[in-house]
Amino acid sequence: MSHAMDVLPYAVAAWLFAVGLYGIASSRNLIHLVGCLSVCQSATYALLLGLGYRWGSVAPIFYDHPPGTPAVDPVVQALVLTDIVVGATLTALLLVLTVQVYKRGGSLDPETLRPMRGGRTPDSAPTSGSKAAP
Amino acid sequence: MSPRARLALLAAAGLALLPGAAATLGGLPAFGSRIAEYGARINALVPGERHVANMVSAINFDLRGLDTLGEEFMLLAAITGTVVLLRGRRGEGMTDRAMRRPGRAVRPQTEAVVLACRVAGVLTALFGLYVVLHATVTPGGGFQGGVILASATLLVYLGEGYVGWRDAVRSHWLDAMEGGGALLFALCGLVPMLVGAAFLQNVLPLGTFRDLFSGGLMLVENLGVALAVTGGFTQLFLEFMEETRAADGPEEPGEDSA
Repeated sequence: MSHAMDVLPYAVAAWLFAVGLYGIASSRNLIHLVGCLSVCQSATYALLLGLGYRWGSVAPIFYDHPPGTPAVDPVVQALVLTDIVVGATLTALLLVLTVQVYKRGGSLDPETLRPMRGGRTPDSAPTSGSKAAP
Repeated sequence: MSPRARLALLAAAGLALLPGAAATLGGLPAFGSRIAEYGARINALVPGERHVANMVSAINFDLRGLDTLGEEFMLLAAITGTVVLLRGRRGEGMTDRAMRRPGRAVRPQTEAVVLACRVAGVLTALFGLYVVLHATVTPGGGFQGGVILASATLLVYLGEGYVGWRDAVRSHWLDAMEGGGALLFALCGLVPMLVGAAFLQNVLPLGTFRDLFSGGLMLVENLGVALAVTGGFTQLFLEFMEETRAADGPEEPGEDSA
């Protein structure tokens, strides 16, 4: 195996992270931003699974193969499982915040986000003027 | 900050971090050459010590069970936050009946869709149960199976329509599953202490290697996780779906305190 293959999975992880980060920084839509964050997170899957892989090894499940067969690292696989669960719930939470932002401001563009005021009703907050008047 | 300035800042930060990142990538062990010693030890010892075939489940539910307990509560907290944010706006009084927006057409499903969903829904649920129950034997476990089970409920929505789905899926059952699953996991930690063992120590009989009933306490913890994940994710679907039913006109005054 060539030297390029030695670092390719790590380079893929770095590339995914960079692309996701660029998407977050340049995003003009909060839903797109949440998607970009998921891309960033995929980089961690690629990195962790790449770190735990070994050529010629089986999955760390000793059902078809007897115990003792060379297997890949199960610790990073458990970590990736945690990672995916955290990512899914985090995405849901962020999408809910997006829904709330849209309801308050009527826009999904992060550029139009303004700090929230202390007012309890929309009428007392002069900045919520973009809300459609009835 | 303007988008252009922000991208320039990102590029500068990227350039500053590039040498470090390149050095780190170069310093990692070559891909596929070796695995960490901890993982290798687990692969060598756990099949004999815990009688389970699935190392990932053994790590999640036994060796690092405490971490999974934390993850379980993180899941609970994130879903609670989601539900509170959505429901706080909508009010809790109407959570158990299907709301319909006036003026929105209700299109009946074609018979082909209903049939396909009834067949696929049952099969998906069965597969989810299989994945949950065989956590210690074959690939799978409470997290994976729980998500499959939650997806099966979405097929009920697709086949039976929204009203049928709301009749089948009760919000307070989901709350009970979600909280009860987390409670079950916590009890798995506390009950061994009553018999003088350590927190989360595997005190149940370990069973036979490669058998459905292997792994002792892991099976109970796995069940707790499956309950919590199924309940939690179905709750998420329900709350998001309910959001599409909410009126999008101007809100009544006084409702805006959330």
